[in-house]
Amino acid sequence: MPPVIQAEQLTRRFGDVTAVNQVSLDVQAGSLFGLLGPNGSGKTTMIRMLTGQIRPTSGSARVLGMDVAAEPVAVREKVGIIPEQESPPSFLTAEEYLSFVAKVRRLDEGEERAGWWFDFLEFEEKRDVLCKDLSRGTRQKLMFAQAFLHRPVLALIDEPLINFDPVMQQKVKEYLREYVRDGGTIFISTHILEIAEEICTDVAILHLGNLVHAGPVAGILAGKKHLTGFFLEAVGKGADA
Amino acid sequence: MRDLFVAMMKEEWRVHSTMFGSVSFALFPVLIAAIARMGSVLLPYLADTIPGGLIGFLVHAMFLLMGAMVGGFGLLGREVMNRRFGQASLLAYSSRTLPLSDRRIFAAFVAKDTVYYLLLWVFPFLAGLALGTPLSGLPPSFVGLAALSLTLAFLTGLSTVFLLSTLYAHSVKLLAAVMGAGVLLAILLTGVGGMNPQFLFPPYALFRGWSVPLFLLSLGIITLFSAVSIQYLTAEFPDREKRFANRFGPLAGQLRGFRYAPLMAKDVLDLWRSGGLVGQTLFSFLLPMGIIWITLSVLGRIMPQAQILVTFAGVAGVIAATMYTWLTEFDTLGAYTFLPLGTADLIRSKFASFLLLQPITAVSVGGLAILTGNPGAALPATVLALSVAVYACGVMIFLTGLWPAVMVYSVRVFAASLLFTGPVLLGLIALSSVSLIYAFLSVFLFLPALLLIRLSFRRWETWERAFL
Ligand SMILES: Nc1ncnc2c1ncn2[C@@H]1O[C@H](COP(=O)(O)OP(=O)(O)OP(=O)(O)O)[C@@H](O)[C@H]1O
Ligand SMILES: [Mg+2]
Repeated sequence: MPPVIQAEQLTRRFGDVTAVNQVSLDVQAGSLFGLLGPNGSGKTTMIRMLTGQIRPTSGSARVLGMDVAAEPVAVREKVGIIPEQESPPSFLTAEEYLSFVAKVRRLDEGEERAGWWFDFLEFEEKRDVLCKDLSRGTRQKLMFAQAFLHRPVLALIDEPLINFDPVMQQKVKEYLREYVRDGGTIFISTHILEIAEEICTDVAILHLGNLVHAGPVAGILAGKKHLTGFFLEAVGKGADA
Repeated sequence: MRDLFVAMMKEEWRVHSTMFGSVSFALFPVLIAAIARMGSVLLPYLADTIPGGLIGFLVHAMFLLMGAMVGGFGLLGREVMNRRFGQASLLAYSSRTLPLSDRRIFAAFVAKDTVYYLLLWVFPFLAGLALGTPLSGLPPSFVGLAALSLTLAFLTGLSTVFLLSTLYAHSVKLLAAVMGAGVLLAILLTGVGGMNPQFLFPPYALFRGWSVPLFLLSLGIITLFSAVSIQYLTAEFPDREKRFANRFGPLAGQLRGFRYAPLMAKDVLDLWRSGGLVGQTLFSFLLPMGIIWITLSVLGRIMPQAQILVTFAGVAGVIAATMYTWLTEFDTLGAYTFLPLGTADLIRSKFASFLLLQPITAVSVGGLAILTGNPGAALPATVLALSVAVYACGVMIFLTGLWPAVMVYSVRVFAASLLFTGPVLLGLIALSSVSLIYAFLSVFLFLPALLLIRLSFRRWETWERAFL
């Protein structure tokens, strides 16, 4: 089976800043792929390019076999996305927002699925609250539900756990693992290395826009290293390069 | 607070100059000055057909209108700190963590906006007028007085609408009571008291005859209105979690004939729940239209009634086109660019929502025709207004994509929109003045409008992605 994500020399510049520099990487179906890197290393930019929200300056990417630059909408039709900034529209309620997403995605059973998410992420009592009045964590829950509402085969999620309390983090980690077990693929960016070590099958490390490592987590742990130590080493190396 | 003001000025400059390039942004006032200068050169010719006093009144009314159209700060309320600023002015938002009261932050914001409007529109216009004196033959003292009274007229419009919109944000009843009292006072003063109506508009009275008390009165009104507004504005609004029953589903159901029903339903709820639908209609549409109507009625002395109505309809169309900005200005596109929607979808859906708002235009123009005793003109005038609205909206979409509000200050956009709409509008008004039947010709504007919208998909595709 071809990789679900194939990035080929992907590069994005913002003025003088090169946010992502000639990154090539493959993500295989069924993996829980962690994108790691310090602040400003290009993780968000990478995810936005892979989902056609911004165009690469050069290079190309195929997602689920589609050329992202040529068919951004078709790609977003298939995948689920949690953007970095959780920003549901201010004047819809949480329930209305999920109903909005379901309608845009033309889902028939949107309502039941939304109900399931309210229940699973335990924010039933916030259903009828305007999104702008929700707490950050609740908004993050909403964005999580939104991304998985159509049961995508691939989800690209940007720091999805950062606003969750430990209990909720546990629950969501479990969900992600199961999701992958059921044949889905997850591409997750995170700073939280413990989480990456715990749930990811593969990781890539970005530093200053450069890919400094990509490979299975098992390989790293087999070298008797913790991911944290490995990460700091990789990033240190990147800084010298 | 002064530091905050300066920082906001810089931020605004940076936002605009990075967006259009500093040169292009800096050229904007130059363009305004050039237009004003050309206009002033025409004055001697105009004076042959229009009595001099009337021109003075028209220009003052125009400045009042300009002020009125940008004065709706009260509508922004606290929301502004979260949303509008969220995009354009991060500073106001982030300043909330500084040891400054909300009121001060807001005051700095209002001051910043006012100064920008003065620098970008009012002063360049006055400079153009002054530069035109060698050709227009106006005495410098006259130009000096006009500069002062026009600035005051602008600030009067701005502060009045600032006050009214602030009252509105508190309660509609309060607004109605204050406006009722204002109208009553005006009637008493002019009708019973026998006061010259021009004193109701002190800057204009000042222009007609300079006097220190009148100057102080003008200034006093502006200061009072602004001070009261700022005082009231940040008086804590009830701050609680707002809950609503699901209105989205039913609304999307009602709109299901439309391809973009969910997006339109979202637009409607956004506008409705933010208070924007009523507020914007009141302050960005009906109020300016009222000022225009009163101004045109004064022209009734030299213009036939039908022509006034047609002119009004045409101008109403242009103002109605700005409803497109109501739909885009508060919308953070970041809320759904990760959904399977492309630029074309977003533009189409905004245009559809825009059409959904047009009954407001139709009712206003048609209603006015009937109320003023011209029921026969109601249909052609309404058709003209709607066609112009759709066309001008098409032009705006083509030129500014999904960002009409921020793009206005680009010289190229501004000049292009003048070229696109000006001649068409004048031509249609002239033709329709000859015979109302010609107003129906305006329906042909739908064709270029749709073409422009179609062309805008391509044009805005990449730009949009880069901007987010
Ligand atoms: N729209 C933009 N305009 C200009 N520069 C940008 C833009 N988006 C990102 N950058 C720059 O690109 C670089 C990478 O940013 P990016 O957001 O991808 O990093 P990140 O790895 O997601 O960081 P974090 O962990 O803090 O979320 C940064 O230097 C950032 O300043
Ligand atoms: Mg990021």
